[in-house]
Amino acid sequence: MKKKVVFAILCLSLLPLSSFQLFSQEVTLITPYISLQYFKNTDDQRYVQTTLTYSSNRMELPLPGMEVTFFNGGDKKETLASIVTDNKGVARFELTKELSLKSNSDGMWVFSSEFKGNDSIEAATVEITVKDVRLELALAVVDTVKMITVKAFTDDNGSEKPVSGETVKIYVPRMFSLLPISELTLDDSGTATVEFPSDMPGDTVGKLAIIAKFEENATFGNVEKRENIAWGVPTDYSIPKSHRALWTKTAPKWMIYTLSVLLAGVWGHYLFAFISLIKINLDAKRKAKEEYRV
Amino acid sequence: MKADRKLIQDLTPEIENTSITWYITFIILFGIFATGVYGLYQQIDKGHIVTGMRDNVVWGFYIVNFIFFMGLSYSGALISGVLHLFNTGWRKPIIRIAELITIISLIIGPFFIFFCIGRLDRLYYLFLYPRIQSPITWDVIAIMTDLVGCFLYLYLSFIEDFAILRDYPDLKVAPWKKKLYKTLSLGFTGTEKQMKILNNARTVMAAMVIAIAIIVYSVLAWIFGVTLQPGWHSTIFGPYFVIAAVFSGTGLLIILMWIFRKIYHLEAYITKRHFVNVGVLLTVIAAFYGYFTFSDYLTKWYGSIKMDSILIDKLFTDYYSLFIFANYIGILLPCIIIAFPRFRTIPNITIAAVIAVTALWVNRYIIVIPTLETPFLPIQDVRPDWITYSPTWVEWSLTLAGVSVFAMLFMLVSKIAPIISISEMQEQDENELLN
Repeated sequence: MKKKVVFAILCLSLLPLSSFQLFSQEVTLITPYISLQYFKNTDDQRYVQTTLTYSSNRMELPLPGMEVTFFNGGDKKETLASIVTDNKGVARFELTKELSLKSNSDGMWVFSSEFKGNDSIEAATVEITVKDVRLELALAVVDTVKMITVKAFTDDNGSEKPVSGETVKIYVPRMFSLLPISELTLDDSGTATVEFPSDMPGDTVGKLAIIAKFEENATFGNVEKRENIAWGVPTDYSIPKSHRALWTKTAPKWMIYTLSVLLAGVWGHYLFAFISLIKINLDAKRKAKEEYRV
Repeated sequence: MKADRKLIQDLTPEIENTSITWYITFIILFGIFATGVYGLYQQIDKGHIVTGMRDNVVWGFYIVNFIFFMGLSYSGALISGVLHLFNTGWRKPIIRIAELITIISLIIGPFFIFFCIGRLDRLYYLFLYPRIQSPITWDVIAIMTDLVGCFLYLYLSFIEDFAILRDYPDLKVAPWKKKLYKTLSLGFTGTEKQMKILNNARTVMAAMVIAIAIIVYSVLAWIFGVTLQPGWHSTIFGPYFVIAAVFSGTGLLIILMWIFRKIYHLEAYITKRHFVNVGVLLTVIAAFYGYFTFSDYLTKWYGSIKMDSILIDKLFTDYYSLFIFANYIGILLPCIIIAFPRFRTIPNITIAAVIAVTALWVNRYIIVIPTLETPFLPIQDVRPDWITYSPTWVEWSLTLAGVSVFAMLFMLVSKIAPIISISEMQEQDENELLN
C-alpha cells in the first residue's frame, strides 16, 4: 500500500513538469521586425510608414492585418493614429498640415510606432527623430550646358539655415527603375551643382523627370523633389511601314519568297499527281466506250 | 485486272470475313480509347489542372506524343519513298505497312496538339491571323501539306489493288465495298498507257514525300531549335530529329511486320530476309542517331554555358535512368542484337525494335521536360509541382488512347484494303517466273 501511495505522489509530482513542457511548446512566440520611416514628397506631403515583418527559414515575410499605433513626441507621447498593416505588412499614416507636431529640445520631430503583440507575436516598438528640410531643385541651361542645382535648408527659429555636408542623389526615372545620375554633397551654402548628361533619351518630345533625393538620411529621412523638363533626346517610337523583321507585322521578304517557292514546288507536284489520276480515269472511260462500241 | 486467287485470299484476310479475335481485339482497344475520351472530358470540364502541366512546365506528355507520332509518320514516308525510288526488290511485302504508318500517325499526331492547347476555341486564329515568322505557322502549313501529299501517295499505291479487288469475281463482300472499289479504282484496267501514267505519278510523289518528310520534321525540330531554351537551341536539331524519326519508324515497321506476319500467317511473304534487311537498316540508322546524340551533348557539355551545364547535370542525376535507357541502351542494344549474325532471329530483331521505339519515346520525353524544368530565372520556395512535371492519369489515358487508335485504324484498313500490296507481289511473282 505504502509503495502505491509513494508511486502515486511521484506521478502527481511529475505531472506539472510535463504539462509545463507541453505548454511551453505551444507558446513559441514570433519575434517581429519593426521599422519606421519618414517620407516627404515633391508636393510637400509627409507621411510616416511602419513595416512589420518576421523571419521564417531565413526569409523575411510580412505580417499583415496587425494594428500599429503611431505616436508623436519624446517623453510625452501623443497618439496620432492606429493603422492595420496591409498584405505587405505596411501601415502608413499621413502627416497632414493641420497636425501640430511636437518637437524635442533640438527642434526635431520624434515619431514612434508600436505593435502591442498578440498570443503568437511578440510586441515591438521603434522610434525615429526627423528634422524638417526644404529641398529645392533648380534646372537651368548655362552656355548650352544643362545644369542641375540642388539646395537644402532647415528652419532655425524662423530663419533658414543651409544644410551642409549631406548627400543628395539625382535620378531619372526609366521604364523599370530610377537611373542614378549623380551623388552630390552639399557645400556650406547648402548648394550642389552637376551637369546633366546630353544623351539621355526622353519621350517623343524629349520630356523626362529629374528627381533629387535625400535617401534614408539619418536626420531628414526620405525627402524628394521632382521636376519635369524637355532635356532628353526625343525618341522616335514609330516603326517605318517598310520595315520587315521577325517582330513586325509583315515578314521579311526572303521568308515570303522561300515559303512561296517551296509551297509552289510541292503543290505543283501534287497537281501533277492529281492530273495523272484524271488522265487514268479519262483513259479508262475512253477504253470502256470503245469496248461498248465493239 | 486479274490476280492469283491464293494471293488475294492470303493478303486480304479480313476483307471477306471478320474473325472473333479481330472483334475481341477491337473491343479491348475501343475500351482503352473510351478511357482516353473520358480523360479528355475531364480535361475539358475541369481545365488543364487535371494534367501535370503547370506555369513552368507547359509541355508534357501531349507534346512528347505529338513529336513521336509525327516522327513515325515522316519515317514511314521516308522509308517507303526511298525503297520505291531505289526499286528495292525485297520492299514489296513491307512497303504498304510503311505507307500506312505514315498516314495513320499523321492523323493521330496533331490531336495531341489540340489536347495541349488551353483555348481551342481560338484555334482558327492560326488561319485568320497567321504570321509567316512563327515556326508554329510553318508547322501548320507543313503538316497540312504533308497530309495531302501522303494521302495522294498512298492512294496512288492503292489504285491497282482496288482494281484487282473490283475485278475479282469470287469476292464475297458487302455491296458498298464493291462500289467503293469501283469508285476508288477510277476504272483502272492496267493498260500500258495507264501503267505509265501511274508509275510516273508514283515516282514523282515518292520523291516528294521524301523531301516533304525531311522539311516537315525539320520544321517541327525548329520549333524547339529557334528558341533560346537550354538543350533546345541547337543547329543540329533539324537533322537530329529527322534521323531519330527514321530510327523509330524503322523500329515500328519491324514490330508491325512481326504482328501481321503472326496474326495473318504471312510467313511466306514476310520472311526472315525482310526482318534482317530492315534490321540492318535499323542498325545503320542507330549508328547515325547515336553519333548525332553524342555530338549534341558533347558540344553542350564542353561549351559549359551555365544553363546547359545545369541541364546536363539534371539529366545525369534526376533523369539518370531515363537518359541511360534512351541514349545508351536504346541505341547500343539494337545494334548489338542485329550486328551479330548469330543473334539475328526474327524474335530478337523484333525485341531490338521494341527497345528502339520505346527508347525513342523516352528520348522525346527527356528532350522536352528537363529543359522546361530548367528555367533561366531560378524559382524558389514554390510548390514542387510548379517546377517539376509528373504526368497524371488523364495524360496516360490519352497517350494509351493514341496507341489504341493507331492499332484500331490499322485494323479498319485491313477490313477494306490489302495490308500487303497484291499488285506489287504479283509483279514480283511474274518476275521470278521470268527469271
